[in-house]
Amino acid sequence: MSNQNYYIPHGTYWPIIGSIGISTTFVGFANLLHDVSWGAPVMGLGLTILVFMLFGWLGTVVNESISGTYNKQVDRTFRWGMSWFIFSEVMFFAAFFGALFYARILSVPWLDGAGNNMFTPELWEGFKAAWPLINTPGAIGQSGTAFSTGFELVNPWGLPAINTALLLSSGVTITYAHHALRNDHRNALIAWMIATIVLGVLFLGFQITEYGHAYHEGLKLTSGIYGSTFYLLTGFHGFHVTVGAIMLTVILYRIQKGHFNSENHFAFEGVAWYWHFVDVVWLGLFVFVYWL
Amino acid sequence: MDIIVIAIIIVILFSLGSALVGMIRGGEKGSDKMFKALRVRVSLSVFLFILLMFASFMGWIEPNNVLPTQ
Repeated sequence: MSNQNYYIPHGTYWPIIGSIGISTTFVGFANLLHDVSWGAPVMGLGLTILVFMLFGWLGTVVNESISGTYNKQVDRTFRWGMSWFIFSEVMFFAAFFGALFYARILSVPWLDGAGNNMFTPELWEGFKAAWPLINTPGAIGQSGTAFSTGFELVNPWGLPAINTALLLSSGVTITYAHHALRNDHRNALIAWMIATIVLGVLFLGFQITEYGHAYHEGLKLTSGIYGSTFYLLTGFHGFHVTVGAIMLTVILYRIQKGHFNSENHFAFEGVAWYWHFVDVVWLGLFVFVYWL
Repeated sequence: MDIIVIAIIIVILFSLGSALVGMIRGGEKGSDKMFKALRVRVSLSVFLFILLMFASFMGWIEPNNVLPTQ
């Protein structure tokens, strides 16, 4: 340690490798969008460099942590770093839930003349406010067009409920894992962690099935404001579950390596909180999309 | 019924936030606070799920129609 209060890191090449990885990814992606033949492989190369950088950089941090290089001040910076990351995640989902509520409660009724927007009914004659709205007014536009066709009930005991039960169970199992870690019950900790990861992966499998079912029934990303918000919210949520499951797997690996004890396990706490957050986001989705 | 469901969600969000405060604070106190708050949030979530299913069974609440029948 270079200083009593601050840990001054050594010189490192990981940031420049990260920059090269991000640049390569975007050059590849931009060319992929222009149908250039080498776009996809270059993007793949960029992503590979990024993954390599993540492994290398985070591995360095883990090694520094277990070699006892960090002090309490560094521990605080990790906690604050995690909290800013969480803040950005909360704002991210708040924006999408905000879009859902705004469309459903305010803007769609306005198009039907609700509130003080008295001119809007003339824009799309025959528009009747309905939720879910699966046709975009203007894209269809002519009077008499059905903007919101009939809908069938989703069986409340069907896939969405199974998925909710799976994810809630994973919330319970990670709580037991947390309890086991705080009491130094190593075998129970490992068992509960494996159960949590399996439940998360099962959730993802069912979610893919649910997407196939909804798409087959005619609900697409282009199905009006409802289709857009439905797929954006559930899609980004699924992405977060995927990231969470990867993080849990890394934590499980580190548990088996003996990196944590009942007093010192911030990495576990960070990932556990993230998993609880993803769980609560799903609960919100389940309630506001399927029920209320 | 809707208000009860939303009220429970608000309490869940509050306990999740409380766990976050505990995590940022760190140390033994913070760690305890985090664990207890997360336990509350898990219990309430499971309770809400069971309540929804029960309310649906009793006919107090109807699911949204979400799949188009065109």
